[in-house]
Amino acid sequence: MRLISKCLICLFMTAALAEELPGDSLYRLQIPLQAADGITVALADLRGKPALITLFYSQCSSVCPMITVQLQNIDRHLTQKARHNLTILMLSLDSDRDTPQALQTFKQDHHIEDPRWIVARASAADVRTLAAVLGVRYRKLPDQSFNHSALITLVDPEGVIKAHTEGVTKSATDFLQKVESTAVARRH
Amino acid sequence: MRTIVTGLLLAIVSVGGANVAAAGGANSAAAGANSAPADSAAVPAGDFAPVLAPAPGKQSVHVTAFRLGKIPVTNAQFLEFVRTHPQWRRDRIATLFADKEYLSHWSAPDALGKGALAQQPVTRVSWFAARAYCAAAGARLPNWYEWELAAAADERHTDARSSPAWRERILEWYARPAGRPLPAVGSGSANIYGVQDLHGLIWEWVEDFGSLMVSGDSRTQGDPDKLVFCGAGALSAQDRENYPVLMRIAYLSALEARSTGRVLGFRCAQDATP
Repeated sequence: MRLISKCLICLFMTAALAEELPGDSLYRLQIPLQAADGITVALADLRGKPALITLFYSQCSSVCPMITVQLQNIDRHLTQKARHNLTILMLSLDSDRDTPQALQTFKQDHHIEDPRWIVARASAADVRTLAAVLGVRYRKLPDQSFNHSALITLVDPEGVIKAHTEGVTKSATDFLQKVESTAVARRH
Repeated sequence: MRTIVTGLLLAIVSVGGANVAAAGGANSAAAGANSAPADSAAVPAGDFAPVLAPAPGKQSVHVTAFRLGKIPVTNAQFLEFVRTHPQWRRDRIATLFADKEYLSHWSAPDALGKGALAQQPVTRVSWFAARAYCAAAGARLPNWYEWELAAAADERHTDARSSPAWRERILEWYARPAGRPLPAVGSGSANIYGVQDLHGLIWEWVEDFGSLMVSGDSRTQGDPDKLVFCGAGALSAQDRENYPVLMRIAYLSALEARSTGRVLGFRCAQDATP
């Protein structure tokens, strides 16, 4: 039943869009995101601006804090014009425990205040779908922690994947340049 | 031995990449519950030791009771699905959801032709398409532990994995030359649960193929250059002699969700009805 309604929404939304999405656009996925402020937005609402997307979870104590710092570093090193045009989505892998309240706490702990940053959760099935598209591999361990790929993905305004980071220890200079050029490019 | 597995894997995996131009058409999950759930067999709950340790220091997992399709989904069944769910036709599917080889062996988007017999397992289907098919049938893809548990059985034992005969019979399949036409589904003998063709026919998608992160060497976990994974590191094999299952894992872990393969198909599963 949920699938039926999803597909109807999908048909409706496609009809409503002035321009058809590219065939490989992430925004073909109908994924509701529940943000830290409790408000639900659709993944496809990110259309129109380039975005950085990463999967994380707030209880993560190993690599995730480094991803957050890496995202903040990238953001800081962009030109003002590029930064202004960029959306940053951090989606939790932990659909059970990362409630909006938990995500709000995470934002405060990491001094994330800029409204361009969306820290959100989604259903476990939707997280699996988005992870599959991003090429993020993950598994929940018996102690409720997660093993997961620590990747940041750059998508263009139409939701097409342009680049991935390759681990948190590699230099992100090339990636940063791609973010900059994608974020300042005019929309066609 | 790991080298052998890797080498074989390279020979087998043919992941169609190619981000070709945009395909038209609306696309999302499939809708409706049209077809009757596939003929399925009950697999009781059980604890077992998967080939890959579920976590450091933990050897066994508990699998709750479920039902598993007795045979893989056939070309005929998948044809019926794309006729009722045309957004999954090969000429309409968005490139996000399948690579360019998707159903390419069919003679037309809505016809099988000589290259795809009705009772052969459907192959060249992506994870998205397999998932949509099962959802439309009121089912789901099995998860890896369910698949591995069911596939550990032979005709008389729930866990035949230590039997050399079990391994040899399966390995014969890997040794068979590629390129021959696939046999029809149901050609293998039924295991103790009544499930057929888990080995010896095709590779099969599982819902959580993205959870299979393989490392045969636990020492890599602390390597800072390998910090691509967050958490307690990749999985380590606790039964390195079990090639048949390790091959499956290696194959699945190399796939993307939009990948298709000449011998990559699927079957559906369901939660056990209480």
